[in-house]
Amino acid sequence: MTMIGKLFFGPFRPSIEALRPVLYRIAYAWCHDAALADDLVQDTLSKAWTRRAQLRDEASLKAWVVSIMHHCWIDHLRSRRDFDDVELWQDTLESPTESPEACCNREQVIACVRAAVARLPLGQRQVLTLVDLEEFSYVEVAGILDIPVGTVMSRLSRARANLKTLLDNTMKQPAAESLLRRVK
Amino acid sequence: MNAAVSDETLHAFIDGELDVAECEQLLARMRNDEALSRRACALRSLKSMVRLAYTKPPAAAARAARALPKQRLVQRCAYACLVLLAGLSSGWALRGLEAQVATKVPATLPGGYQMISLGGEPDPSRVMLHLDSSAPERMLTALDQAERLLDEAEREGRAMQVEIVANSHGIDLMRAGVSPYAARMAKMTQRHANLQWVACSQTIARFTSQGQNVELLPTARAAPTAIGEIVTRLQQGWTYVRV
Repeated sequence: MTMIGKLFFGPFRPSIEALRPVLYRIAYAWCHDAALADDLVQDTLSKAWTRRAQLRDEASLKAWVVSIMHHCWIDHLRSRRDFDDVELWQDTLESPTESPEACCNREQVIACVRAAVARLPLGQRQVLTLVDLEEFSYVEVAGILDIPVGTVMSRLSRARANLKTLLDNTMKQPAAESLLRRVK
Repeated sequence: MNAAVSDETLHAFIDGELDVAECEQLLARMRNDEALSRRACALRSLKSMVRLAYTKPPAAAARAARALPKQRLVQRCAYACLVLLAGLSSGWALRGLEAQVATKVPATLPGGYQMISLGGEPDPSRVMLHLDSSAPERMLTALDQAERLLDEAEREGRAMQVEIVANSHGIDLMRAGVSPYAARMAKMTQRHANLQWVACSQTIARFTSQGQNVELLPTARAAPTAIGEIVTRLQQGWTYVRV
């Protein structure tokens, strides 16, 4: 009976598996490391599969799986470094990539944006990517990250402001250079 | 009302978190406030830049295929059996239907017209003709086409719904005093209950703002927008034909 129940309740494997590209995109935006993102997704999918009976509402499948990935990501960070308190570096941790100043080519806007996003503090980066990449509503993001909606809004606000400054700095440089060249 | 719009509100606006009333209020303010609309624009482009940056994340190196644990294998077998059973039983249940489906001949469309549908299979018994030109031959084609579809369906005893959607200059067809085919249209409406004439309100508003008096024929109704009407119908499974 339990076997049959497990088979029929909860989402079917293909519907979870279909989220793989979505999860990978979010994971990559969080950690900017392809191999790590892939591991996170794999971890998340297997956890989601074993816990599928816990999902109450099929419509919130995506948010539910992403919240599992959030926990996987936090677990990973905990195991990697000896942080005492996750909350402490929620606002400080950057992912290790080259600085946005390193890539200011016009063709490399994508790389620029990625580098700038990577420099955002972890909490802001997560909120920003969930809202911008996957169009989650603020309430859903609050549920996924287990924080109040007000925090989602303030983190998003700070994230976009920071991103804008980071990008403005990078984009300004080539413009100034070309101006100098002209004078010469 | 005149308080400065906070960043949070603008963020909520571009993320689609505001309700309709708040949205409209903000849009109205933006029309008069250039700095405000520039701020919203900058935020929106920032958002799309982030989106763009991650549309194609670099792929991770291919990982080795993992062997399925035994329990999962058993589950897979169970699934396969279920699918097989479902297929067999539905095949048995549907065996009578096949004959019926085969007799449902789709309405013939003239060459060169494309058929598209958002709702999976286009339903040949519900056809929407889209007219956006005031050229007499295009109008005539639309009318002929509608009449032919309805007559054919009537002769064969099939149900058929036809809707003629007009926007841009095509709206002339449905304007009282302008339409060259008003009498024929009235006759068609009388003969076929399933024929609808729909005009685009935006086009009417545009014409009115240019100083023209737009009055629709009594048989025509106005929809908020022609595109909205078309998309709704497509989602309902209608067949779309552009005349």
